[in-house]
Amino acid sequence: MDILLYAVLLLVLATAAGFLGSLAGLGGGVVIVPILVILFRIPFVIAVGASAISVLATSTTAGAAYVHDHLTDVRIGMFLEIATVPGALAGAALTVYLSRLDLDPILLITLGVVLLATVPGSFLHRSEEVPEGVVPDRTSRWLHLAGTYFDRRLRRWVTYRAAKTRQALGVMFSAGLVAGMFGIGSGVLKVLALDRALRLPMKISTATSNFMIGVTAAAGASVLLTAGYINPVIVAPVALGTTAGSFLGSRILPGLSNRLIRDVFLVILVVLAIELILRGFGYA
Amino acid sequence: MNHETGSIPPPPQEPDVLRLPVDAYIMVSRVLRTGLAAGVALFLLGLATYLVRHPATSVSQADRTNPLLPFLNFSDLLHGLAQGQGLAILTLGVFVLLATPVARVLTGWYYFHREGEVAMGVVTLAVFLLLLLGLFVVGPLVTHLG
Repeated sequence: MDILLYAVLLLVLATAAGFLGSLAGLGGGVVIVPILVILFRIPFVIAVGASAISVLATSTTAGAAYVHDHLTDVRIGMFLEIATVPGALAGAALTVYLSRLDLDPILLITLGVVLLATVPGSFLHRSEEVPEGVVPDRTSRWLHLAGTYFDRRLRRWVTYRAAKTRQALGVMFSAGLVAGMFGIGSGVLKVLALDRALRLPMKISTATSNFMIGVTAAAGASVLLTAGYINPVIVAPVALGTTAGSFLGSRILPGLSNRLIRDVFLVILVVLAIELILRGFGYA
Repeated sequence: MNHETGSIPPPPQEPDVLRLPVDAYIMVSRVLRTGLAAGVALFLLGLATYLVRHPATSVSQADRTNPLLPFLNFSDLLHGLAQGQGLAILTLGVFVLLATPVARVLTGWYYFHREGEVAMGVVTLAVFLLLLLGLFVVGPLVTHLG
C-alpha cells in the first residue's frame, strides 16, 4: 500500500474512533488497538504505543478545559497518580516482555476480555450526584483531600471529602496496569475508584479521571518509547485523528450524545473484542 | 469557575478545605494546552515532511519496529531537525507530548511548594520521580528482557 494512502486511512479511522468514542462517553482509545491490529495488521506492542500517545493527547484536550473550569481536583488527582504511574510502568513492561517472548496471543485474549468487561462497566449506575455522609479517613484528612465546587444545576456550593483512600489506591494501581498494558485510558476503573471508593461527586470524579489519564498514559508510553515501540509514522496520524475526532464529538455536536450512539459504539467494541479473542486462539 | 458572573455566591469557609490559588489552575491548564498545541503542530509538520520526502516508502518500511531509534540521542535529534528530516520532527512531537503531563506534574509541585503544603509537595515530587523512573530505568531495563 502507498504510504500516503496508509497515513490517510489511519487518520480517517482514528478520527471516526475518536468522534464516536467521545459521543459514546468511553473515549476512542478503547478501539484504537483492535483497529490497528485487526485492520492494519500492526504488531500488538506498536499499536499499544500509538494508542497510549493518542489517549495522552485526547485527554489533554478535555483535561485543560476541566482544569480551567475548576472541576478537576488537582490535589486528589496527583495523590492517586502515586498508584496509577507504577501500575502503568508495570503494565507497559509486561506487554513488552510478553511480546518479546512471542506471547502476543495472551495479550490479544486479555485485551478482548478487558474490552468485553468495559461493556457492563459503562452501564454501571453512577453513585449519587453528590454523596452525603462521607467519612474521610486518616490519609484523606492528613493530605486535605477535600474540596468545594459550585454546582450549577443544584445552584449551590458543594463540599466533598474523600474516603477509603487505601482502597482507591488499590483500584488505581489496577487501572494503571490495564492502561499501561493496552494503551487505553481505563476510565471505567478510574471512575470506580473516584466514585465508589473515595465517594467524590460525579462531576469531580469525571474531570479528575480525565486529568489523570494523561500522566498514566505518559508513564506507559515512556516505557514503550525507550524499549523501541513508538513508531511516529503510525503514532502521528492516529493521535491527530483521535484528538480531532474527540474534539469534534465533544465541542461541535454535544447534542448527539445519546444512548443510540453509545449502543452502536458498544456493538463495535464487542465485535472487535471477539475478533481479538478469536485471533488469540488462532481462529482468525 | 466563573466568579465574574455575579450570580455565584462566595464559597463556604471550610477549615479543612485548602484551595490552590486560581493562578495554579490557570497555569496547569495553560501548560496542557501549550504542550498539546506544540505536539499537534509538530506531528502535522513532521508527517507532511515525511510524506513529501519519502513518497516511495513502502508500508512495511514505515511499519518497522523503531524508526525513531536514531533520534533518541539528543545531538542526533538536533542534527536530524537541522536537516529537516520528517522522522526527527515527529520524534520531537512525541517528546513534547510525553513531556506535557510531566510538566503539568512539576507545575503542580511548584504551587504546592509555594503554598507551603509540604505533604502534597512530596506526593507530587514522588509522581515526577516515578515518571523519570519509567523513562530512564524501566524502559531501558525491559529492552534487555525476553
